[in-house]
Amino acid sequence: MKQIVETRNLTKVYNGKIRAVDNVSIDIGEGEIFGLLGPNGAGKTTMIRMLVTLTRPTSGSVLVAGSDVVKEARKVREIIGYSSQEAGVDEQATGRGYLTLFGHFYGLDGQTIRRRVDEVLALLELTDAADRLTGTYSGGMRKRLEIATALINKPKLLVLDEPTLGLDIQTRARIWDHIRALNSDGMSILLTTHYLEEADKLCDRVAIIDYGRIVVMGTPNALKGEIHGDVVSLTLPPEEPDQWEKTFEKVRQLLADQPLVREIQPTNDGLNVYVDQRGAAVPLILHVVEDAGVVIEDLSLSRASLDDVFIKYTGRTMREERGQALGARKTWFGG
Amino acid sequence: MTGLLRSTWYTLDRLIRAFVRTPFWIVIYLIQPLIWLLLFTQIFKSITVLPGFSTSSYVQFFAPGLIVTLAVFNSNFSGFQILSDINFGVLEKMLVTPVNRYGLIVGSLLYVAVTGIAQIVIVLGVSFLLGASVVTGVGGVLLTFVIVSLLAMGITGLLTALALRVKKPEPLVFVSSLITLPLIFLSSALIPASLTPDWVQTVMRFNPVNYAILAVRPLFLTGYDWTAIAQALIVCGALALVAIAVATVAVRRFGD
Repeated sequence: MKQIVETRNLTKVYNGKIRAVDNVSIDIGEGEIFGLLGPNGAGKTTMIRMLVTLTRPTSGSVLVAGSDVVKEARKVREIIGYSSQEAGVDEQATGRGYLTLFGHFYGLDGQTIRRRVDEVLALLELTDAADRLTGTYSGGMRKRLEIATALINKPKLLVLDEPTLGLDIQTRARIWDHIRALNSDGMSILLTTHYLEEADKLCDRVAIIDYGRIVVMGTPNALKGEIHGDVVSLTLPPEEPDQWEKTFEKVRQLLADQPLVREIQPTNDGLNVYVDQRGAAVPLILHVVEDAGVVIEDLSLSRASLDDVFIKYTGRTMREERGQALGARKTWFGG
Repeated sequence: MTGLLRSTWYTLDRLIRAFVRTPFWIVIYLIQPLIWLLLFTQIFKSITVLPGFSTSSYVQFFAPGLIVTLAVFNSNFSGFQILSDINFGVLEKMLVTPVNRYGLIVGSLLYVAVTGIAQIVIVLGVSFLLGASVVTGVGGVLLTFVIVSLLAMGITGLLTALALRVKKPEPLVFVSSLITLPLIFLSSALIPASLTPDWVQTVMRFNPVNYAILAVRPLFLTGYDWTAIAQALIVCGALALVAIAVATVAVRRFGD
């Protein structure tokens, strides 16, 4: 398979010390939908910005379709489309006017621009609103216009930074459909997300990124396959941190010998127990824990998700805020 | 080259379209010079009796000064223009395209020049009604357009570079309110240089605004002063070129 993106030891350091992206080497194949999954502040956006020529890497390299993003920035710009997180639209322009402007910026001729503008408006279901000022658009429409501007040059690689951030469920599903349709026409797509479901349902391959590093990469199914079966999440009552650590160790030891239990991972407020047969495992866990005199505040049961993959590799859940997660990690591992 | 021209043209086109779509701005832009003209000519009516005034009419003296003053004020204000593109993420979207970076800057500075010329036309029209005239005629008016536009592009360009660097309005407000009045008062825009203290006259020699007014005022009052015109074109032209270069560097480094 030919590569549309190749990064080698890609690194971005801010202010001489913050390693936003740290030594990342990934290959993305042509025709793939590739997802960068990670919590806020993990380095996803910085990585994307280097790929689309907005930010210069501190060290390492990125090739897009064989062209270097620093030395051959112009060539790269001609074949990529980029939709940013903020949905950047010019409120003083109509949807059609804004798209036409981008057509001119890509150096297309007038006739091609008119045709492409009509095509992308139709594709993203904006034809009816095309001649209204974008200031009157809803959040979902802005996001679609933003994606439309990224498509005006028929890019080989479409880069989407959090394409469904803050959108309602229906709009999100529609944008997923649009992304799939573009991909089935052969467009390579790189997206960032912190929605597990989005990475799971949409992406051919996912890289989980944390503190600027790729912690694991693979197809969503392969990643989830590493987890096995079901997850029983136990929430322990909040206590003194050192007390908490003891409780966690105690529960871990109690459960580790049980045949149904495959793995135990700490979370921010308790622990996840990965089990084979949940029907049998839940009463067993409750029984063992209760006998030991440990109080459980809450218990929930779920199928293994990418969040569990994240927990496995980082020791914390992705859904939490970064500050809390850091604190939790310190608690558990005494760091 | 075609890339530069194309990028310049479509940037200018976009900004003018946005301006025309906002009637509020148009009204403000048209009314502002009228208010200034009215206030200054009324308040300073008797100033011409002071020794050192070469004309008997303050309108005659002040029209060119007002034109330059307006350009300084509006170019200070125009430095903020790029902030909304930064805030709305529009600038980043543009920077991901192969658009020529000089074109983005030159186009937005030409927009300042075009709107500035529209204001000059208004000032001229009203001044004529109040009895002022331009002794050099159409040639002098065109030269005024060029000199004032270069000055406005220079000031706007430098503030645009600052805006691209700091990415928020507060430092711009500070800088522009710090420099606007000194730029005007340390020139002979409102009062003849001979009526000011020596140190002010010395400082004036380093103020591009003063070069503009020294070239433009004779076009209205006495005739072509080619030395002053050449100096103004060199000083304001150099200012504009430096501003374009600095702002283009700033736009290239915007994402770093």
